[in-house]
Amino acid sequence: MVQTIRNFFIALRQIAVGDKRYYVWVAFLSFLMLLGASAYIGQLNRGLIITAMRDQVSWGLYISNFTFLVGVAAAAVLLVIPAYLYHFKPIKEIVLFGELLAISAISMCILFIMVDMGQPLRVWHILPVIGAMNFPASLLAWDVVVLNGYLAINTCIAFYVLYRLSIGKDYKMSVIGPLIILSIPWAVSIHTVTAFLYNGLPARPFWNASILAPRFLASAFCSGPALMIVLFQIIRKLSEVEIDNKAIFKIAELIAYAMGINLFLLGAEVFKEFYSGSIHSEPIKYLYFGLHGHNNLVPWTWFATVLNISAFFLFLFPKTRENFTTLNMACAAVITGVYIEKGMGLIIPGFIPDTLGEIYEYTPTMQEILVTVGIWATGALLYTFLLKLAIPVYTGKLRFFSKAQAVAAHDIMSRRMVSVLPDTPVDDLAKLLVSKHLSDAAVVDDTNKLIGTVSETDIISLEVGQSTGKKTSDIMTPPTAVIAEDTRIQELGKVLADRKMNHLFVINKDSQPVGMISASDILKALENIRQE
Amino acid sequence: MKKDEKTNKGIDRRKFLQGAALGLAGIALPLDKADASFWEAFFQKHFREMNEVEINKVISRLEREYEAKYNKAIKVGHEKAMPGVLFGYGLDLSRCIGCRRCVYGCVEENNQSLDPQIHWITVLRFKKGEKWVDLENAEKYYNPDKVPQDEYFYMPVQCQQCENPPCVRACPTQATWKDPDGIVVVDYNWCIGCRYCMAACPYGARRFNWGKPNRPVEKINPNTHYLGNRPRYKGVVEKCTFCVQRVRHEPGRYPACVEACPVGARKFGNLLDPNSEIRYLIQHKRVFRLKEDLNTNPKFYYFFAYGK
Amino acid sequence: MKTYILRVIGLAFFLSILLSVSPTESLEHEVHKKFLVPPPPFSEGIFPCSQCHKGMPVNRTPRKLEMMHQDITLNHMPGGWCFDCHNPDNRDTLRLANGKIVKFEESYNLCGQCHGTILREWKAGLHGKRTGMWNGEKQYLLCVHCHWPHDPEFKPITPMPPPVKPSDIK
Repeated sequence: MVQTIRNFFIALRQIAVGDKRYYVWVAFLSFLMLLGASAYIGQLNRGLIITAMRDQVSWGLYISNFTFLVGVAAAAVLLVIPAYLYHFKPIKEIVLFGELLAISAISMCILFIMVDMGQPLRVWHILPVIGAMNFPASLLAWDVVVLNGYLAINTCIAFYVLYRLSIGKDYKMSVIGPLIILSIPWAVSIHTVTAFLYNGLPARPFWNASILAPRFLASAFCSGPALMIVLFQIIRKLSEVEIDNKAIFKIAELIAYAMGINLFLLGAEVFKEFYSGSIHSEPIKYLYFGLHGHNNLVPWTWFATVLNISAFFLFLFPKTRENFTTLNMACAAVITGVYIEKGMGLIIPGFIPDTLGEIYEYTPTMQEILVTVGIWATGALLYTFLLKLAIPVYTGKLRFFSKAQAVAAHDIMSRRMVSVLPDTPVDDLAKLLVSKHLSDAAVVDDTNKLIGTVSETDIISLEVGQSTGKKTSDIMTPPTAVIAEDTRIQELGKVLADRKMNHLFVINKDSQPVGMISASDILKALENIRQE
Repeated sequence: MKKDEKTNKGIDRRKFLQGAALGLAGIALPLDKADASFWEAFFQKHFREMNEVEINKVISRLEREYEAKYNKAIKVGHEKAMPGVLFGYGLDLSRCIGCRRCVYGCVEENNQSLDPQIHWITVLRFKKGEKWVDLENAEKYYNPDKVPQDEYFYMPVQCQQCENPPCVRACPTQATWKDPDGIVVVDYNWCIGCRYCMAACPYGARRFNWGKPNRPVEKINPNTHYLGNRPRYKGVVEKCTFCVQRVRHEPGRYPACVEACPVGARKFGNLLDPNSEIRYLIQHKRVFRLKEDLNTNPKFYYFFAYGK
Repeated sequence: MKTYILRVIGLAFFLSILLSVSPTESLEHEVHKKFLVPPPPFSEGIFPCSQCHKGMPVNRTPRKLEMMHQDITLNHMPGGWCFDCHNPDNRDTLRLANGKIVKFEESYNLCGQCHGTILREWKAGLHGKRTGMWNGEKQYLLCVHCHWPHDPEFKPITPMPPPVKPSDIK
């Protein structure tokens, strides 16, 4: 256990190691985080008055981003379902990166909630038992439970898988299976609960529509996977991770269906509001056409709708879906479109007009934007660090071995060996081997460096009586049956099998022979490990 | 060798970030606060979970804090709801002239912040003959020379003290609840400022302290209630409490808005007392409540005593 | 005999219906109940009226006054004039239509002659401003505190300032 923790911290050092581009990226994100932090400190000092939120529009940019990111987090399930349930191998291997994205997205969600609170230090009041959680009446309490639960599930799954990979083993389905089965409905639930949060308020007719929960899920399943497609291409380019194009195209196909459903639901909403034309359709009128001269969101709404429809067609047709240029355009379109539609396009019109008919047009202040950017940078940095940890483990570069697995050649070699100079006469060599009961000898130069090996077979292959006058250097073989002393035991078996040898000479860093290993030595050692 | 260099750089960078993080946290947390008052406030329990002794401790701490802050003795009461009382409010729409004296009477009584400005009561103006009580087209910034103006009628809105309050349902920390006498109250020391209750309220009754509330000391009403008009904090929600500091007495005063109204459009009383004004008007006038289709069951009854 | 009994029953039935829809308080009770009101809002020095009117001859002809009180234009009760309410025999009091004398402190009974429904509501606390205790002693105001009897319509007043717009809160 202690070793596992120590290994974890050793693994964390990976975060500090990288090439120039990595440092520039980390520095850039840190700079954005500092900007956000300083804006947030200003907010802590003066209060939320530095935002553009007021009593009339009491939720704004922060909650918009929160809503969008819950969708991204929920969409990790999109990878999980085909991977584990349908064993679609190309996706199975990259589920890990989807889950790490879910962890980053939920962390950002939590940050967006924290910066939106008027009294953040009192956040513990929301906890059950020590606080006074209003469960099950308050949907916000539900949201706290399901989001943190989702974070816990994904963290457990991801880190368990990474842990097993890091010690060279595969994950146990008996351990992870139940968690994965749980995570599927849980992922659907985080976004449903978030939708219910808005849905359950009869005070806000724009939100008080049953269509909200299905629309949330549909749009989440567009934006989250699109983000993942972009990220996977980046991961593929910057590391040794291999991600099959088939996996990417499959995800893109699923986005097409999700966007189709999303657009259908949008159409249903548009019909209901504009055809029935009651007073409750004022918010959607505000979005698409403006209301009483207020039309700040009109261009954004149309822009988002055009983006979503175009993206739908780009994802729908295999020709554009499987062309990386159009695919990336479509991804950018859908991420932007859903971000606008689900973020500002959902939160703000819920408050316009407000419950007493007032229209206050909300435009985020610079400080709000800086805090938002800071939180996105935090999430990006977190995801970068998680990848920096996960990719070496995933590709096998970073491995931790147990004590037993750490056995190396020099632990099991036999130090009983003999070395000769190349000009030793063959007769002397033969006498030496017989007297020492050895079958092989190392041939070294004056610095004791191994330059060849010679075995009994080499000697007896000479014809009887032909050995007079022959030197060792005439019959020696180049040093192929040789391994370094720190070679791990798993590799030794392979080397022996490859080179069809029974004995290997073990050399140190300076290429000096230090011992010999036979096949039986290795077998004995492996038996010992298995029994441990 | 090269690898070690890089690792060293990483450690230095990490140390820098750690230091920066600690520095930022240090600004945010009042680690230099020597007095226990901050930590007492931080760990204060939920009002409804405290016994009388604990409540008194909290009250005396608050009175000390207010004294230190305003240099004025401010009394904080915590009178409980009186048994057999359910407060109701009546508003005569035939009489309201939209003069807003109720708004400012409330501000004076309830210690509302002057800058940023907070008004618990909103007076709306509607054009006669158009949509009836059209909340989507109401005006609240009217400012003619004289009121009332012939073409309009006026309707003040404040917390309706619903019997089935959606805000209470929404609050994740139970910082707002309905007391037995029907008043929906907020514990300003428990509210986390998430503003979900504000999204849930169909009447736009709740106000948020976006900034630090400011009120000159000489204008502070020192007779306060823990759940009512005591000075509030930045980042918490507040609203009309039917002047809980006035009404929960035997005998109790009328709320400030009732007394401020020059035309007597506001009526207040105990719904459970068959001889009260409020029961009289419910019986004899055709009362209605706002947004009744939402089943919030408000206790604010609008009526028309006579038409003009 | 039969018809006589039927008539009595019918009358009793009619009376019981009448009584069941009448106001909750009986008239006798109202006359004796005291209403706590502040003193009438006399202009400076005008009361007691007998200061000037004691010994003055009484002119009961309805006319426009010229020597005194000419600033008062009656914009109330078209066709009416001073002695419809004021007591010609004692200016320190008022006079009901049935001749009954009413003090200025109880002038509501005078207004209530025509504005009966309003009087009833005023007594129940529904009409007009009230201050005091919701479960204790309440102050009434006289009709004349808000409605000047010679021009009773409530005059428009200057409203207090509108709230600050949210975009102006910084």
